[in-house]
Amino acid sequence: MTERSAWEGNWPARLRERARERGYNSMTAFAETRPTASLVELAHELGQGDVAGVQVFQMLVDEAERSHQLTRLVRGTLVRELWESIPEGWPADLSVEGQDRIKVAMALGTWSAFTPVTHEERVKQASAALLTNPPPPGWLPKGPDDELLLTLLPDEEA
Amino acid sequence: MRTGPLLVSVALVAAGCASVTRVSGQGMDLGDVGRAVDAPVPARRTDRIGAFPPSSVAGPERASARLTRQAVIDTVHSVKGSMGTVTSALSGLAGPGTGFGRVNGVFSRHIVYASNQLPWLHGSLAGSMELVDAAVGIGEMDMELGVLQMTGPRLQAAMFGAILLTAWVDFLSLAEAMLRRCYPCSVEKLIADMNRVQHLIEPSMAALASQDSEQVEAAATAMPELMGNLTREFASIRNDVRVAMERNGQVMAAAQIVEMVTMVSAMKMSLARLPGPPAAPVTLGAALVMGSGGVMAGSRIVVSVEWVEMVRRLVQAGVLSLPAVSAAVRIHAGQVMMMEANGDLPPGVRDALGDGPEVRAMRPTGKAGAGMSEAPRHHVLPQEHRAWFEQRGFKGDMSIDRFCVRMERADHQAIHGGGNWRMGRTWPNEWSQAVMRTLRDAETSAGRMLTRNEILQRVALLMRRYEIPMKFIPGRRG
Repeated sequence: MTERSAWEGNWPARLRERARERGYNSMTAFAETRPTASLVELAHELGQGDVAGVQVFQMLVDEAERSHQLTRLVRGTLVRELWESIPEGWPADLSVEGQDRIKVAMALGTWSAFTPVTHEERVKQASAALLTNPPPPGWLPKGPDDELLLTLLPDEEA
Repeated sequence: MRTGPLLVSVALVAAGCASVTRVSGQGMDLGDVGRAVDAPVPARRTDRIGAFPPSSVAGPERASARLTRQAVIDTVHSVKGSMGTVTSALSGLAGPGTGFGRVNGVFSRHIVYASNQLPWLHGSLAGSMELVDAAVGIGEMDMELGVLQMTGPRLQAAMFGAILLTAWVDFLSLAEAMLRRCYPCSVEKLIADMNRVQHLIEPSMAALASQDSEQVEAAATAMPELMGNLTREFASIRNDVRVAMERNGQVMAAAQIVEMVTMVSAMKMSLARLPGPPAAPVTLGAALVMGSGGVMAGSRIVVSVEWVEMVRRLVQAGVLSLPAVSAAVRIHAGQVMMMEANGDLPPGVRDALGDGPEVRAMRPTGKAGAGMSEAPRHHVLPQEHRAWFEQRGFKGDMSIDRFCVRMERADHQAIHGGGNWRMGRTWPNEWSQAVMRTLRDAETSAGRMLTRNEILQRVALLMRRYEIPMKFIPGRRG
């Protein structure tokens, strides 16, 4: 059992080092090259078994906080959640009885949980808006600069 | 009264949860934890796929959950089979017109003791099947396997409990035959013998009935040695019959009784390996090898290829432990005497039973290995929201107390947003909050209550994000 725990040792240093080894000077720069990858996929690119997706996310939050890019990160997080939960795109049938609404609901639930406290209210409203005025079927944003996402969650930060 | 196939069914034995509990971090409940040599192993799906036979190519992940589920079901059915045999033997022994009638209920407490084991044995089989059903349709392979692994302790308890009960019923049958047919035999000595044998059996039976994973594992791995002792006791009582009846000139009758009880005994194989009187050479069995028909001792099939296949799946999926499975093979082969009882099986047989790097890693080695099972248990589904989960089907065998993981203190602190490396002020990165916000907000968006399976599926995704291994152990309500 040579595997190490993701939580062992100074994990922020480990993550920064792994990103650097791959030619990125920040976690944000690394993540932006894979805007539709899930957090777990990002983590596994940095290390099998000793990097957790949630750690990648925490570093992204940390960096976005300092660069005042939190809203952009929040949009980017939804992109990853949607690709992970509804890779076939936004469903046509959102009825409560249908099979697909739950997938969207789960994606939005995890998005909410992976949202900084500063953005909780805006995410709540954006989620409600997506369900009441749903995007066209098949919609699957390719990154944080998606037009619809920018309308839902425009940058406010200076 | 009794028929032969007991041996086949009772040997379908294996063990469970210790393999699960020992796979994650080492550490102690109190005080500082040393740095992990055996750090928590995340459920590495790639490893598991690799460990399965190449036959499961079409969707190996789906296949392995499906095959594991089938192997659990097959095992439950086989134990049920041997339980059926035991139950009918018991009702025969408890009925009118048996040899026990001669001694006015002196032996009835022994029969009652046997009958008293039936409810918990049936209960653990039923519990295993409930978990098998609960694992269907979660739609998340690791989580399905995690739920199937929960069957381990009770499956193992039932399997070894059935073996032990079968052996005990053999003693009851022997006593009954002796009372019925052997008038010169000493009833007083038989009473003393039966008391002593029941005392031999009781501690192991109680450990199995507890269904506590560690106790069950210990009882299972010690079972060959116990079966060795029981074999000697059985042979000794049988010998008393022979001597008493021969002294009385009833040589043929003696031979018949001895033959009858031996042929149907679960200890038939080990009895054959006892040194025969007087001072006959020890019958050495052929070494066990993995052959085309299964595990072979010489030309005799000890366990079938099908059994090996079933057990390998369960060992590799972490449902059963290799030491317990090895103990079952030993018992089945009758290799329960002295040195044989505790030795390792030959490498070829071990490999066939699913031994491999991943499985070996689960095995405790010395103190460090034992320490791994001491790492604190933690609820995956937050206890302060017990009622919320109960409303969504987390009750009984699927209560939130069944979904605990062992984690080292430092790791546990880290996932609860503590530890030395806390970063970011605006996102707490706290496990319980992440779970509850995900689930509550998902319900809001879904417009309905989530089902248990939907919850498990999402929790599996979160566990993967937090690198929490999907190896569940039962925890305490706290």
